[in-house]
Amino acid sequence: MVTQKEFGHLWELLSEIPDPEIPVINLVELGVIRHIEEKPDQDKIIVTITPTYTGCPAKKLFQDLILEKLASKGYHNVEIISQLFPVWSTDWLTDETKEKLLKEGISPPTIGDKIVQCPKCKSTDTKMVSAFGSTPCQSLYTCNICSEPFNYFKCY
Amino acid sequence: MKITIENKDAMSVIRLADTSVILAQRLAEMCSNGLTLEEDIALSNISLDLFGRADELYKIAARIEGNKFTPDEYVFHRNEREYYNIKLVEQPNHDFAWVIARQLLHDIYAKELFTQLSTSSNHEVAGLSQKVLKEIKYSYMHSHDWTNRLGLGTAESNERMQRALDHLMKYVDELFNFDELDKKFIPDPEKLKAVWFSEVDKILGESNLKRNAVAPPSMRDFREGFHSEHMGHLLSIMQFLPRAYPDAKW
Repeated sequence: MVTQKEFGHLWELLSEIPDPEIPVINLVELGVIRHIEEKPDQDKIIVTITPTYTGCPAKKLFQDLILEKLASKGYHNVEIISQLFPVWSTDWLTDETKEKLLKEGISPPTIGDKIVQCPKCKSTDTKMVSAFGSTPCQSLYTCNICSEPFNYFKCY
Repeated sequence: MKITIENKDAMSVIRLADTSVILAQRLAEMCSNGLTLEEDIALSNISLDLFGRADELYKIAARIEGNKFTPDEYVFHRNEREYYNIKLVEQPNHDFAWVIARQLLHDIYAKELFTQLSTSSNHEVAGLSQKVLKEIKYSYMHSHDWTNRLGLGTAESNERMQRALDHLMKYVDELFNFDELDKKFIPDPEKLKAVWFSEVDKILGESNLKRNAVAPPSMRDFREGFHSEHMGHLLSIMQFLPRAYPDAKW
């Protein structure tokens, strides 16, 4: 998550946009929105975003949602810049965001995919069913203790 | 519409993009045809990653070219001879062994190639390469795992995997016929070749499979836009809709 003191009202506004696939977290928490700049002299806002997964079907949707949200508050002259540097990483998710994911039933990413916790019984005795899941960012797991099947947010 | 590619770096990026999009299309053909639900999802996910990778690569190429064309125009409005993908990835999904063998040979190539490009002097290429390496890791895990399982499975699965490899190996030679563009764009082409052979041999060795000597087909190089017979059929399906209905929107 980026912290940028300037333009706090815009950061707050964009924090209201939920991730289309995982609505429990928003685009700011996800780390998609990197930079916001307001240019009052040009009556313009520049938003810099970075893609999460190159093949994420929500990639285009992110831009539409940002434009829509800003337009709803009267900001119509908006430029969105997509940048690849620095490369998006799940390391940017805060502990608070990871906690939200776990509560939602999605096991949050851990370094090297080593410890995967069951969102239901919290056991770490779990096994991968398939490295690929319902979205490009998730793998399918099952818990060896309580048999719960669940999604794991891949470490990127 | 006549699509032109003027800049040499743009051409190098287009080659990568074409290889990604053609393999993505082949894997998309497996969507709803996977042997299990998990496998169907896996192949579709890998396809999606490759489409995404291609999209970002075409955007980089387009920017170098001054945004004369969009990614969609590069994909849907070039003919067979204007495509520069490696022939390996256009080979059909003859059976599941072909899908896995093709993926394994590609993933090992892509892994070393993008590792090298992650230090490219083009910052966009470097950034994207670092990103796609994370995706290649998952794809490679999948193709490696299935190669082990098919090679060490039954006599039938071993035989079919070997047959797939023997066919696909014919299209490997051209990967390493580096031209001037490659030598400028890829940091260490000879290392790419060495790493590819040693890694392929290691995985085939552990899977009771062999890299047999095969004669490459008498076909000219993908760098000049030459393809196997399968390419035209693939494009005819992939490009049909935007060509028949040019203003169609999703």
